[in-house]
Amino acid sequence: MDLFLHLCIMILIYIIFALSLNLELGYTGLFNFGHVAFFGMGAYASALFTLHHVPFELALLISLAIAGGGGFLLSLPSLRLRGDYFGIATLGFGEIIRIIFQNEVWLTKGPMGLPGISKPTLFSYRFTTLPQYFILALVFSILSFFILRMVIRSPFGRVLRAIREDEIATEALGKNVFRFRVKSFVTGSILAGLAGALWGHYTTFISPSDFTLSETILVLLIVVLGGKGTEWGPVLGAILLIFFQESLRFLRLPAEYTRYLAPLQQMIFGTLLILLMIFRPEGILREKGKTKNVGIETGQ
Amino acid sequence: MLELKQVNKSFGGIRAVSDCSLEIKSYRITGLIGPNGSGKTTLFNLMTGFLPLDHGEIFFKGKRIDGFLPHQIAEFGIVRTFQLARIFPKMTVLENMLLAPPRQIGEKLVSLWLKGKRIREEERKNLKKALTLIEIVGLSHLKNQFAANLSYGQQKLLELVRILMAEPQMILLDEPTAGINPSLIRKMMELILKMRDAGKVFFIIEHNMDVVIELCDWVFVLDNGQKIAEGKPEAIQNDPRVIEAYLGV
Amino acid sequence: MEYLLQSILNGILAGCIYALFAMGLTLIYGVLNFVNFAHGELIMWGAYFLYLLMEKPIGLPLFLAFIPALLFTTILGLGTDHFIFRPLRQANRLTLLIASLGLSFLLRNGAQFFWGAEIRTYGFEIRRGMRFWGVSITSNQVAIIIVSVVCVALLYLLFYKSRLGKSMRAVSDSLELSRVVGINSKKTIRFTWVIASILAGLGGILLALDTNLQPGMGLINLVKAFAATLLGGVGNLWGALLGGMVIGLVENLGVLVISPGYKDAIAFGIMILMLLLRPMVLLGSKE
Repeated sequence: MDLFLHLCIMILIYIIFALSLNLELGYTGLFNFGHVAFFGMGAYASALFTLHHVPFELALLISLAIAGGGGFLLSLPSLRLRGDYFGIATLGFGEIIRIIFQNEVWLTKGPMGLPGISKPTLFSYRFTTLPQYFILALVFSILSFFILRMVIRSPFGRVLRAIREDEIATEALGKNVFRFRVKSFVTGSILAGLAGALWGHYTTFISPSDFTLSETILVLLIVVLGGKGTEWGPVLGAILLIFFQESLRFLRLPAEYTRYLAPLQQMIFGTLLILLMIFRPEGILREKGKTKNVGIETGQ
Repeated sequence: MLELKQVNKSFGGIRAVSDCSLEIKSYRITGLIGPNGSGKTTLFNLMTGFLPLDHGEIFFKGKRIDGFLPHQIAEFGIVRTFQLARIFPKMTVLENMLLAPPRQIGEKLVSLWLKGKRIREEERKNLKKALTLIEIVGLSHLKNQFAANLSYGQQKLLELVRILMAEPQMILLDEPTAGINPSLIRKMMELILKMRDAGKVFFIIEHNMDVVIELCDWVFVLDNGQKIAEGKPEAIQNDPRVIEAYLGV
Repeated sequence: MEYLLQSILNGILAGCIYALFAMGLTLIYGVLNFVNFAHGELIMWGAYFLYLLMEKPIGLPLFLAFIPALLFTTILGLGTDHFIFRPLRQANRLTLLIASLGLSFLLRNGAQFFWGAEIRTYGFEIRRGMRFWGVSITSNQVAIIIVSVVCVALLYLLFYKSRLGKSMRAVSDSLELSRVVGINSKKTIRFTWVIASILAGLGGILLALDTNLQPGMGLINLVKAFAATLLGGVGNLWGALLGGMVIGLVENLGVLVISPGYKDAIAFGIMILMLLLRPMVLLGSKE
């Protein structure tokens, strides 16, 4: 039962993480290959503030602001670039943030990592046990899902999709493409920060090696496997991949094999990405031709 | 209404547009013709801010507009189409239409929280208008299809009616009839004339002389980036300079 | 003063290596029109192939091992093109980039699978360098400079004197057009991969000779190569050479003023600075 709850919590956290990337990659067409940076910023900020006795509610808000602010600052220079340059700028940013976590020892304790992150207390209710944390993660992921759905189905989301399809035509219709992209990127960064904060308080120990390219690849794979640009794709992808990853962790292999297990699993992820792109780039769920009339029948 | 003064643009030493001055007056359809490579599309790109000017000034209703970004110029009321129709392939025909209205309340993230009711009203209003417009051009039965599934001619029609959703004062069309079949051309011309009567100003690049003669009230002729003639279409047709430019004598 | 001279020398050394990376990256970009995210892993595998050949049980000496190591890198480069990028030639950009990122990840973890994540060296004894004017330089480092200069000279001859080089330039101007005038673009593309792989492998080997090997070395060097490319103007071979030099120098002079832990971040900083100073026009880049 504990194992099952653990699995569910991880899936829920990764659903939030994947939804945030889907907004950028799936709907806006932004090639963000450094999404882990914002996950890490959320995790570190929230952990550090609570370790310094800031109440969780406030620490969470601050960490979301930090992740969003980081996204804003990065987006200003790099969102002027065409797609693949933006991809490499974000990829580099992901590495730099990790290097900062590693080097600012006075703040982050460097490679040693931050132990003893407290379980969150929300409005004087403590989420310590697994079932309690499950509820917390569930509430936040449902909230994220519906907020993003509202955003995507709104006229705002319609502009984002138009930018993905043809930025020049969107600009010619009087939409400030740059500004819309920045908003999408910042929103995505904030939600990634939320996922990171929840993850940090769940594992109670974080270190720079938790925020490497592997995390970006995992969340990217979740989004493209499930179906980018769909509402349920990231949810489906997170369930499949996190289940796969976490069950490998509980295989209880002899110690001499575990050295091979991690790279092997990553190799599978890399291969899966390549095969998906060659044979089914749209993922499991694909965007449908018939869309609901935006925001009208659904009563948003 | 729109005035170009001494506009210049070169690409790597080649002058695409040189010392071009022209004035487009309200309440009519103005044509822009000229041989291939004479700088017509470049002129469009300069007017809509997609390319920066080297020299010169552009005024719209007395206000200087060169130096502004494309989306700002669209906000001033000058909206364009492209030579190859630019529709949003993985959005439905209706979504293509609903995207176009300017300054929608629902395009602001904050108002999604605060102004839900007004956004719904606005959407309903725009939807009604969009449905009327696609009815006129006969795309109603395709309204929930991805725009990618339309024929090329239908895509060009969609691009044209989409522009009308954008509430423009002046409409620039880059070869609206290129590559579409005669019955659709007829439909398109009727729509353009109807919109002119409703007070829209058109500036049209067109190769099909029959269309030019039937539609345009005034024509500019461009050759090698320079304006070589202007006048009523019938007069232009017989202008020796124009004949020379086209035949390359 | 000596410290400064030494830093400049180290900067030139690093710059030579980065220039090799950047020229390979920009060649692929010029001909195939996408940023190959797996370029860093070609660099890394080049270095590991040499390691494989020099270690037991093969145990070849360096001067015998490096030719087959470059050959293996080239086969790897051609293989990735044949099995991954060729089927995606007509695919949209996002698909192509995600595939190349996936490939980068696969190759990186492949190396980790065989050799583990730890830092390795080729196991040469650390020799005292020769000293000139208080600046020390090892024979390996002399070799780095010579090899880089030879590479650049060969590239120059290739590009401006040979037919194949001319067709590469033509293809990079326009794939469509070169098809029309009958340049065999398949052959040209293959040839481009050969050159880029050799440059990557050679650079990787030189870097590992000067420093060490590690499966993660590809990613950060990709960022550096890209920053160099951006500095020199994308698709511009000689710009890439110059950009690489600048990155190498700034990096090594930079650690005089900031913490060495941030050495790898400097290239990224330069990249962002470039973007801020020379903001490319948002639109029209496609046309």
